[in-house]
Amino acid sequence: MTIRTRLTLWYAGILTASLLVIGYGTYREIDEQLRHDHRREPTERAIGETSEMVFQVGLPAVLLGLLGGWWLTRRALAPVKNLTDAATKIHERNLRDPLPRTRNGDELDQLTKVFNDTLARLDDSFKRIHEFTLHASHELKTPLTVMCGEAEIASRDESLPTAERERAISQLDELRRLARIVDGLTLLAKADAGQIALAMEPVRLDELVRDNFADTQILAEPQGVQVELAACEKITVRGDRHRLRQLLLNLADNAVKYNQPQGKVTMSLRCDGNFAEFKIANTGTGIPLEILPRVFDRFFRGDPAHSQTVDGCGLGLSIAQWIVSAHNGTIQIESATAKPTTVTVRLPLEEPAREKA
Amino acid sequence: MRVLVVEDEKKTASFVRKALQAEGFAVDVCHNGDDALAAARATPFDGIVLDIMLPGRDGLSVLRQLRERKNVTPVLLLSARGEVNERVEGLDAGADDYLPKPFELVELVARVRALTRRGGETKSTTLRVADLTLDTLTRQAQRGEKKIELTAREYRLLEFLMRSAGRLCGRMMILEKVWDYDFDPGTNLVDVYVRRLREKIDADFEPKLLHTVRGAGYVLKEQP
Repeated sequence: MTIRTRLTLWYAGILTASLLVIGYGTYREIDEQLRHDHRREPTERAIGETSEMVFQVGLPAVLLGLLGGWWLTRRALAPVKNLTDAATKIHERNLRDPLPRTRNGDELDQLTKVFNDTLARLDDSFKRIHEFTLHASHELKTPLTVMCGEAEIASRDESLPTAERERAISQLDELRRLARIVDGLTLLAKADAGQIALAMEPVRLDELVRDNFADTQILAEPQGVQVELAACEKITVRGDRHRLRQLLLNLADNAVKYNQPQGKVTMSLRCDGNFAEFKIANTGTGIPLEILPRVFDRFFRGDPAHSQTVDGCGLGLSIAQWIVSAHNGTIQIESATAKPTTVTVRLPLEEPAREKA
Repeated sequence: MRVLVVEDEKKTASFVRKALQAEGFAVDVCHNGDDALAAARATPFDGIVLDIMLPGRDGLSVLRQLRERKNVTPVLLLSARGEVNERVEGLDAGADDYLPKPFELVELVARVRALTRRGGETKSTTLRVADLTLDTLTRQAQRGEKKIELTAREYRLLEFLMRSAGRLCGRMMILEKVWDYDFDPGTNLVDVYVRRLREKIDADFEPKLLHTVRGAGYVLKEQP
């Protein structure tokens, strides 16, 4: 029950109670007078008239009281509602937008001020974390470049014994994996800081999906995984071609990697209202419900044992999620143990008006 | 061919020089922007490898200065930041190519080679390596007398490998040229495609032409 309803009811209750007291008082007064006058006959009528009067005047008064109470509490609590509405919209990305203040110095204005100060401090901490990640990933690149380069030279140095060259090659593999992680981290850190400008243009999504389908078939072949393109409607979205291809490949790669041998991957692209809907499902082992919400988290792996066998940087889905949200779309994952896992991406269609322009 | 490498990080400069020298380039090294400008004024280089992050005058400023002086030496920019905007900014400033760190040496060398050779590329419509031929007009591949059917992607892969015949092609380079990916997808897409291509052009034939160089990439050539 909201404070508003509660206060209104209390108000109405008090009003009714006071009316009853007044009514009872009046009744006693009349009764007393009549008794005094020894005229018993019309007493009943007089009482009837009185209660009728109380009823006629009282009921509208109660109703008016209720309305008045409702209006008063609404007025009193309006700033709280505004505060709640504004606070609901707060998340990591808009901490910089403070809640609107009335600046009349009342208790609620004070509360808003304290709230805004807290937001500012939070924003500051977030900014520092972003900056730290960004700097860290930049700083890592120089030593990585040196290590990769030296390992590459060693791997091809004919004067070295074979065993040492083998070691250099194996090091190189790990270094490249590390480089991919750092790349992914840099991308996400920049995305967080809003430093990535997307090259938006009308993109034929169906062409990208077809292209991706061909690549996925090849990727899936060694594991005997079958790939199917169930539907591919002609669809144009407004987007960054490279990023959209990255998105599709990330999802397809995951669908193949986390599949069972001789499994299946099904993709489809359909138009749904004002959205392009891309679905990709696989016959993997499924993802337990409790970890499902966390699969988009950075470096999150559902099954630690799996990370040993499946090569990847652990950032694929985080990157996919960023790409989708940068295109004002949504991404969802549905799964259950031993059931197919489906990822659904919805992207807004290119507006026809813009297409003509 | 004489190349100038401008890189403040000494170790990076050192292995870049080694790798380029191994390819037969004469290499000069500078560690800051002002030295680089002085060196570029004194010597006509065939190409410049320029790091963007330099102490003092940064790489982009060196590049603008060079272009202002009407110096048209091809420039390959290196950057640890590696983002699309920076790539565009670099190319706008007059760079001919751009490579984000950490890079594969194979790729750096290939790009420098491409940079210094510009214009000299064979324009022939038929590519040939041993008895393997590829007609770039009809998109028809043939090994000996046998015609080979290729998918669009396989064709682009083969064309790229044949145009770089005899030279090592790194995975990133192949991804960029054949798939037009500007990111490392972390998949074994290239390896799987090469395997398929190998089945078509090499499996039933001798000598084998498509070789794997472990830890580096692939090379198409007659001798292993």
